[in-house]
Amino acid sequence: MQSLVEESAATEQQTEFNSVISAKRVNVFYGDTQALTNVDLEVPENQITSLIGPSGCGKSTFLRCLNRMNDTVDGCRVEGEILLDGVDIYGPGVDEVLLRARVGMVFQKPNPFPKSIYDNVAYGPRIHGLAANKDELDEMVLTSLEKAGLINEVQNRLHSTGTSLSGGQQQRLCIARALAVQPEIILMDEPCSALDPIATAKVEELIEELKENYSIIIVTHSMQQAARISQKTAFFHLGEVVEVGDTEKIFTSPSDERTQGYITGRFG
Amino acid sequence: MTDTPNDPKASGWYGEKYSANLKKRHKSERLFRRLGLSAILIALGLLGILLFSIVGKGYTAFIQTYITLDITFSESVIDKDGTRDPVKMRSASYGNLVRDALRKEFPEVTQRRDLRALFGLVSKDATQQLRKMIAADPSLIGKTIPVRMLASDDVDMFEKGYISRDVVQDDRRVKDNELEWLDALQADGAISTHFNTRFFTGGDSREPEMAGIWGAMVGSFYTLIVTFLISFPIGVMSAIYLEEFAPKNKLTDIIEVNINNLAAVPSIVFGLLGLAIFLNVAHLPRSAPLVGGMTLALMTLPTIIIASRAAIRAVPDSIRQAALGLGASPQQAAFHHILPLAMPGILTGTIIGLSQALGETAPLLMIGMVAFIADIPGGVFDPATVMPVQIFLWADSPERAFVEKTSGAIMVLLGFLIFMNAIAVVLRKKFERRW
Ligand SMILES: Nc1ncnc2c1ncn2[C@@H]1O[C@H](COP(=O)(O)OP(=O)(O)OP(=O)(O)O)[C@@H](O)[C@H]1O
Ligand SMILES: [Mg+2]
Repeated sequence: MQSLVEESAATEQQTEFNSVISAKRVNVFYGDTQALTNVDLEVPENQITSLIGPSGCGKSTFLRCLNRMNDTVDGCRVEGEILLDGVDIYGPGVDEVLLRARVGMVFQKPNPFPKSIYDNVAYGPRIHGLAANKDELDEMVLTSLEKAGLINEVQNRLHSTGTSLSGGQQQRLCIARALAVQPEIILMDEPCSALDPIATAKVEELIEELKENYSIIIVTHSMQQAARISQKTAFFHLGEVVEVGDTEKIFTSPSDERTQGYITGRFG
Repeated sequence: MTDTPNDPKASGWYGEKYSANLKKRHKSERLFRRLGLSAILIALGLLGILLFSIVGKGYTAFIQTYITLDITFSESVIDKDGTRDPVKMRSASYGNLVRDALRKEFPEVTQRRDLRALFGLVSKDATQQLRKMIAADPSLIGKTIPVRMLASDDVDMFEKGYISRDVVQDDRRVKDNELEWLDALQADGAISTHFNTRFFTGGDSREPEMAGIWGAMVGSFYTLIVTFLISFPIGVMSAIYLEEFAPKNKLTDIIEVNINNLAAVPSIVFGLLGLAIFLNVAHLPRSAPLVGGMTLALMTLPTIIIASRAAIRAVPDSIRQAALGLGASPQQAAFHHILPLAMPGILTGTIIGLSQALGETAPLLMIGMVAFIADIPGGVFDPATVMPVQIFLWADSPERAFVEKTSGAIMVLLGFLIFMNAIAVVLRKKFERRW
């Protein structure tokens, strides 16, 4: 582990950290077309890592590799190693269903189940048998909603449908739903792209709080958002990681001119 | 394009070319609306004509003519020895009671031929009816009471106005002497019409006045239950497997094409298949709803699979991903989320499939469900017939009285269909979710 950190530190100066996920030489193909080429990335523990880059550069593809959601895409093939706590998640004996419980995901478009708010949050604990009884389950649902900052808005209507909430509320419901499974890592694919600035601010605030207990990887198209909330940033371009490092460093003095060009808005 | 863009009046949007274009568009819009409206009107009109002719011909099937006669339950006919032995009493010839009553009513008739015609006014059912009365209450023996009995089909047809007096006697099913007797009975108030409960509670019969649709309804019910129990689970499971689990490759492509082809196979072919496999190989009982249901299930399966696949495909992918992203297994995602959301569509497809099965005759002819069966089937192994086959059989019968029975049966079949569709609507409402 130590040697890995040193290795990457040699090329990109960054602060020391414990990495919870390390991707090594990851190549992803959709049929014959290659979407990711030799991606190396270390994801720090209990920090927020943002993935930025122009549309179609492979950010979502990379994110989906981390919880093996790509397995559900027809014709998608992943090569290379992705270590979670030192174990290759694509290795033999790894159950992708359990993996997805450990690595939660929040999607770009809020996608609550067309069920009650309560059932949305309770679904994860139910299928994984996390709660021993009804009271424990209630407790879990309420704490998840609280962590997601939604509790005040919904506590009086836990049994109305999740789809009746506003877009921002729905997204926080989806976050609560992911939290209820008690994951170690949360992947977020443009979680604020469908939200207005106020809802975005709420979700950002929430993400920053969550960082205490979770490692978070977030894909975003908003430079400001990446700069505001993340400690580490990776810039993707045409399926490769061009530059990765401390967010401050990337946004103030990027070493690659493509990064420079993207963050100053010259392309992408 | 030579106009200055600053002057909207002169630009293309307000120019001559545009207004001509606008007129053309409005005109074609109006034309399309009119065409659509007339198509619907034509369809409604045809439906109206169909219903009108069926109801017009068939409503008389729901009423039946009865003759009331004073029947003397004479001991000499029913119980010669006076032992009151139920077995012996059951085998007595109750027809004599009816004949005696008619003779008493019309003492002037003595000729054998005339007597036969006179006795023919009352349905054969009267014998059965009197036997049941005595079995239920032996104390009737020796008494004389008025009994309401079914009239024969010719009398019924005459009373309903289907047989005209004006036709020459040779072309008339009811002869002059019969007319006289009927008039006399009418004058006595012995002839009456009542709601035909037997039509809804009885099985088929050679005698039109005794024939009922209930046997066929029960047969249809059992057949459809078998069809549903086989085709629904298999169809839905196949659809889920094909949509959610099967790898997308040549083999699944071939399966897909074949399922679509199966949906277009003429139903008689399924009947032949049922005959070859279920009867000749598996030796299942002939004419039974079990075999009929299995055969129809073969026919219904492709419809259900295709509809279910479409419904499953219409569930947004985001729901699937949400479930998988939480660590649900593909099976849990399918059964907890996708299937419930696809249910309205699946049910619609199932009801369409079952409605087709309900109206299907040809494959059932192949497996012997066309036989004459008077008993009400008691289960899926009993010989039975189904409603469309019953309609076919009655439509094929020479008696005039079966014409109204045919139309009546069609009305019952349509009612059955409406009932099924109503169930579908209710179920759909129940499963439907607002997004
Ligand atoms: N299911 C798929 N099948 C085939 N190609 C795909 C699939 N998903 C993504 N791709 C391709 O892989 C490349 C990377 O796509 P990806 O969705 O990861 O981009 P992205 O960086 O998330 O873009 P955006 O910012 O627009 O979301 C694109 O060229 C895309 O066309
Ligand atoms: Mg994306």
